[in-house]
Amino acid sequence: MAQDTTVPKLNFEYWLDKAVEWGQATTLESQKDVCLHLPQLQEFLHQLYETLKDVQGSVAAIQQFPLIGQLLGRLCWNPFVIGYDESQKALMWCLCCLYSSEPQNPVEVKANSWICSLLCHLLSSSEWESNEAETNLFISTLGYTSADYYGHLVKNMIFSLVAELRENPFNGLNIQRSVSASRVNAVSICCVPLITLPDLTPLLETLLLYHGGSPKEILCPEFLEAVNEAFLKKKISLPDSAVCSLWLRHSPSLEKATLHLLDQLVSIQLNSLEEVACVIKDSLLPQAASHPAIFRVVNEIFKNALLETDGASEVMTIIQVFTQLFLEARQNQNEQHKFPLKAYFPCHHQPLVRALLRRPSELPTTSWSQHLKNISDMLKALVEDTNVSSLTDLFETWYLVTCFGEWLDIAAEQLLKATVQPDALLWLLAFYYCPQNENQQRTQAMVEVQAVYNHLMMLFSCTDLSLRDLEAAVHRIMGTEQCWNQHLMTDLLTNFLLFSSGGHLVAQECIYHITETTDTSKEVYSLLLRTAYRFKHHGEGNQRTVKLLNELLQKFTLKV
Amino acid sequence: MAAVLGRVAELPALLALSRSALVRHWDAPALDRALEWARYFQHVHDRFRARPQLREALGRRLRRAQPCSPPLGFSALGRCPELLGLALLENRALPPAACRRLLRRLLLPPPPGAGAGPEPRGLALLARRKAAARLLALPRRPGGTEPRVRAEAQLLLGRLREEEAQEGAGAAGRPRWLCGVLERLPPPRAFAVVAAALALLGQGSGAEGAGDGDRDGSGQDGNRASAAGDGCIAGLLLSWLLGNRERFSAFCLCLPGSLLASLAGHYSQLSRSYLDLLTGWGSHLHYDPLQGRWVKSCLEKAELSWEELRERFSCLCQGSALLREQTQAALKLLKTRDGDFKVRGLSVWTDLLMEVEE
Repeated sequence: MAQDTTVPKLNFEYWLDKAVEWGQATTLESQKDVCLHLPQLQEFLHQLYETLKDVQGSVAAIQQFPLIGQLLGRLCWNPFVIGYDESQKALMWCLCCLYSSEPQNPVEVKANSWICSLLCHLLSSSEWESNEAETNLFISTLGYTSADYYGHLVKNMIFSLVAELRENPFNGLNIQRSVSASRVNAVSICCVPLITLPDLTPLLETLLLYHGGSPKEILCPEFLEAVNEAFLKKKISLPDSAVCSLWLRHSPSLEKATLHLLDQLVSIQLNSLEEVACVIKDSLLPQAASHPAIFRVVNEIFKNALLETDGASEVMTIIQVFTQLFLEARQNQNEQHKFPLKAYFPCHHQPLVRALLRRPSELPTTSWSQHLKNISDMLKALVEDTNVSSLTDLFETWYLVTCFGEWLDIAAEQLLKATVQPDALLWLLAFYYCPQNENQQRTQAMVEVQAVYNHLMMLFSCTDLSLRDLEAAVHRIMGTEQCWNQHLMTDLLTNFLLFSSGGHLVAQECIYHITETTDTSKEVYSLLLRTAYRFKHHGEGNQRTVKLLNELLQKFTLKV
Repeated sequence: MAAVLGRVAELPALLALSRSALVRHWDAPALDRALEWARYFQHVHDRFRARPQLREALGRRLRRAQPCSPPLGFSALGRCPELLGLALLENRALPPAACRRLLRRLLLPPPPGAGAGPEPRGLALLARRKAAARLLALPRRPGGTEPRVRAEAQLLLGRLREEEAQEGAGAAGRPRWLCGVLERLPPPRAFAVVAAALALLGQGSGAEGAGDGDRDGSGQDGNRASAAGDGCIAGLLLSWLLGNRERFSAFCLCLPGSLLASLAGHYSQLSRSYLDLLTGWGSHLHYDPLQGRWVKSCLEKAELSWEELRERFSCLCQGSALLREQTQAALKLLKTRDGDFKVRGLSVWTDLLMEVEE
């Protein structure tokens, strides 16, 4: 009977004290306490089983763990423990291990008998209910087992609870008829261990959508948290409306869900934005964000994430994709249910918001540059109005624009392809990469990018491009000290390589050269991903450009 | 096939054995064999469930092998591992070595690569559901069928439907086992179960099988057959109820007026007998001028008081239009026969009619 010395010491005293304290979990405090400890208890039971696996018979086990009988016995009478996830399995496994196939003394015989009665209690007849014996006889005469009976029973109970909750919408005049808040609260806490039981889904849905008359939340927070956990781990699936309701009622759950999404996205290797969009859509957050309250919370969390990562391009991309999906979801909403834009962006200049929210697909391509010019003019007016702009306001405005990065990418493209006055669009891009101007950083950036732009425009229609032709631009990029200037000019250059007549000839070399010598590979990669996604989404892009994009992306994924 | 039939006929004996004290001679290998048999029966069930003729043949063979009530049906083959496993678990005569083997095979996860016995997963689900039933058993509001009673009714219906599908109408043995089964429950419970079963049939709950989804009747035929079959089953339950006066009287006494009214709305034989019964009870009331109300003539008899009677009649009048007309017509007739009085205190029927028409 080898004992692994690295197995952590099992804390029997702690759990036995807990089990005694809980009893059969009939009071609200004991119920809440059990719910709090269920995951650790399950872990403990699994560890206990691993330890007991090699033990033969109850006497040996009792020598090792004197309190084991008391503990297992008590836990078997706690329906919260039995009902939870896999705890009942672990308990039964432990009991099986304790059974002696050749009892040597009366103690073992007694222990065997005790084990069998506990298992019968768990699986067939028990004294939990007073008239179970009669029921058992009835169903076994019919040829069924307790498995069939309890299958039906649980479904019936759920059915009747759901009916009770649904037929009593709060009727202000008829208080006696409506279900009492304490009853709903009691139901919700009793559901906590059972959340992953498939039978329960209708009840979960009904509880989440239930609105009593009280302004306070009547569902207990343990329940809401547990449902959220199970949903995030994909152990249960709920309809969108129920999840929305959950998040509206319990903001910690919403925050957890948003952070969980960010974790998921940041940890997967981003190979295409389709994957990102898929993960975001599955999280149901864009759809839920149609509620302004949810949108604002999610927005804040994203903003913080951006600040904490110093504006990392992956986070920016995630925010931009999220915003696009949010707009799509909002578009699909029924007109009557739509909230006004001011509800989502209360502190911003509304005409700017409206302009940014127009999706490129809603406008003909020929009017894109004009639209962008409008945005740029509005923005300029806002930002350069020294009476209004504080640093915080500036950041908020910049963040707003960043969320709608799609337009900014289009701006860069339009700069090169469309025959328009470039100033407004250049200003827009400059603002995006360098919002601040106390020390004339942006003005300086404008000057630099203007020079690069002029140089590139001269080469735009040149079909026979070589790396030497671009040398001047490349030198500028490598020579700048400020990283925002670098990013701005690299952005322009990358767009040039994608869309100019001769760019494809030198694209790979050029990008390789730049990313090797500067710290811009992540930004370039994000830009390429976004452009590929945009093309797929809008069905844009000629074949050559698409081909080039894919080649470049492939090269990148091998490197990054 | 003959071999299969022969083996299937062993099932009742095996189950009976597993519940008896004879298992004390079993050792671990014997237990293994028993569980293997159970798996074999389940396998037979799964193979033949989609083939009606073979299914019926197996069902008939099973019935022949059991002299007493109620015979196990084809679906019991599918439940065999659980039936046997749980029966053995409850049997205290099983010796330790065999018991240990049983526990390991029933409950522990199988070692990778070995063919398993009954899925341990199924029993874990059972334990979980049992706990769920305890957790969700919050005190309910009155009205509506209690979930436990409803579950028992669903199982009863499942069994009856299975018999119906197999044997068709007119199998002589059925009423006998039904009585025996219902007598296993104490009367108030039995009545509640039968009432729930009738209510379920009345609502046309054709989709509710008995847990294992054995209702694989083929498409339209299945539906038509099951509607007709349900009618037969209802008839069976009603004849059990109505066949015995005392039983029916006790039934009507112990169930609430609203439930009886809704059943009466669905089943015309029931409404007739119920009205007759109420008439009988009503005629035993006499008016006490000192107290100013109707009282029972003999306090000990199991009958309804005036208030209860009034409640019953009003429930009936809140039912379907047909039922309401029937009830009012009956009361009017009784009132007329009694002398057609218009004043209270002279005829119980006058008074009832007045209460009910308010």
